[in-house]
Amino acid sequence: MALLELENLTVSYEAIQAVRNLSLEVREGEIVTLIGANGAGKSTTLRAVSRLLKVQTGRIRFDGCDITGHAPDAVVRLGIAQSPEGRQVLALQTVQDNLELGAYVRHDHVAIKEDIARMYRLFPRLEERREQSAGTLSGGEQQMLAIARALMSRPRLLLLDEPSLGLAPLIVLEIFSIIRDLNAGGTTILLVEQNAKLAMQHSHRTYVLEAGQITFSGLSQELLSDERVLRAYLGD
Amino acid sequence: MTAVQFLQNFLNGISIGSVYAIFALGYTLVFSILGIINFAHGAVFTLGAYLTYSLAVGQFGIGGLFADLQLPFHFSFPFALLTGSILSGFAGVLVERCAFRPLRKRGADPLLALVSSLGVALVTVNVLQYLVGSEIYSFPSDVYGDIRPAFVLHFGEKLVVIRTVQIIIFSVCMVVLALLGYLIGWTRIGKALRAVAENAATASLLGINVDRFILYTFFLSGFLGGLAGSLVGTSFGIAGPYFGVSYGLKGLAVIVMGGLGSIPGAVLGGMVIGLAEAFVPSEYSAYKEAVAFAFLFAALLIRPQGLLGRSHIQKV
Ligand SMILES: Nc1ncnc2c1ncn2[C@@H]1O[C@H](COP(=O)(O)OP(=O)(O)O)[C@@H](O)[C@H]1O
Ligand SMILES: [Mg+2]
Repeated sequence: MALLELENLTVSYEAIQAVRNLSLEVREGEIVTLIGANGAGKSTTLRAVSRLLKVQTGRIRFDGCDITGHAPDAVVRLGIAQSPEGRQVLALQTVQDNLELGAYVRHDHVAIKEDIARMYRLFPRLEERREQSAGTLSGGEQQMLAIARALMSRPRLLLLDEPSLGLAPLIVLEIFSIIRDLNAGGTTILLVEQNAKLAMQHSHRTYVLEAGQITFSGLSQELLSDERVLRAYLGD
Repeated sequence: MTAVQFLQNFLNGISIGSVYAIFALGYTLVFSILGIINFAHGAVFTLGAYLTYSLAVGQFGIGGLFADLQLPFHFSFPFALLTGSILSGFAGVLVERCAFRPLRKRGADPLLALVSSLGVALVTVNVLQYLVGSEIYSFPSDVYGDIRPAFVLHFGEKLVVIRTVQIIIFSVCMVVLALLGYLIGWTRIGKALRAVAENAATASLLGINVDRFILYTFFLSGFLGGLAGSLVGTSFGIAGPYFGVSYGLKGLAVIVMGGLGSIPGAVLGGMVIGLAEAFVPSEYSAYKEAVAFAFLFAALLIRPQGLLGRSHIQKV
């Protein structure tokens, strides 16, 4: 059964329909990428899943439960965490406080401490800066913090919105390898990327979004060699 | 001015300044979360003063519809102060539910919320006037029990008089400031509150229920407003339902002076305005408020962002 299921989703900003009749699913244990040009509606889709945006028509189901009308904090409690586009770390609070707030929905203090230590092992640069305010971190460090903070809620489904945006190539590779490790550790991931090739190389399945609608979908390996996808998204 | 006079003015200033500080913090908390000035804050100040009065004295009113209405009980002063302030906190929650939330949910312009909070303020003041009249209410002099009303320090010929109520005001405010600083700076709730203030959408992505924290904020704000009103009422009497209006304006001066949205700024601004007023010679005391505002203008000319404000204000 699909862990996340979007069925005929339509989401609008006042006059603009940003996502139209979109259906997709993410199965337990998968990494699924959603690629598409700037403005295609990728972030809108993730924001709708996190319930930051009202859904006009359609359904969102998580683990069989209809969450279309849920509040944002409720879906976090159910096990969906998002690392949003542009990172959105809490710039005025310390790295440590950002991580603690990532675990806001949890109450198992001992395990939270252990998880913070685990995040510092995963991202050693964050540990060096644990008492610094997050606003003083570099872009790559903020991205790591945003991912680590999302992981602190121990999500079953992790939504990543453009984790490679604006980062140096080496750091991008580092982040993708961490994404693979997280997935190997059991976290299901829905990944939004403009860096289509890299994202497809690191994922099981891919959906291609154009102007708010899905135009292609399939196994990432197969789409990577699909003429039409190649032309539109993978031309270097 | 002699050194003794200076000391007297200074003590008067920090006592009233500490009330201005906690009162202004009520504006600051709401502003830092919603980016809006809550114009009902002055009305909550007034309401708190009446509530504490009626709980401490055991009588609702000496005028208006509630004239001579007796409560079947009355509380000791500390307990009346605490209960009156807590009830004011719930009044703050009501203000959020009536004046702010409905507009926010419809995505209305923040300016409209400002107007609706002004509406709530006027209605509250008018209802108060209807219920308790516009007489001056003075707390009985023995309201704290048998503590002496004032302490006199002798400096040769000169005297410095510290009223007991000034000591009480200053200590209560310091305790409240310390507790608030701890709550906001060090607890899980405080961190979540600051997250909501910094970026509500991000906070909700972390599983923080933003609406609930907005309610907490209005509770704290109302609590501080009601406490400030009660303390001022204890010290100077309640000059009628409109007495919160001038304090409301002064509170605005304090937060603008300290820097909009800055918590340390509200405390510093309160102290500065309190001291500025205290140093106005007594023959000009009718112009006290003008002096406070003149001070504000002067400070803003030098530092437009306020004493401790950041030079950029993201929220309007
Ligand atoms: N806050 C907003 N208000 C109005 N329109 C928006 C807003 N955010 C995004 N849009 C529009 O919705 C469409 C999809 O945007 P988005 O989901 O951010 O695309 P992507 O993440 O794929 O780049 C675009 O046309 C964009 O201009
Ligand atoms: Mg986007």
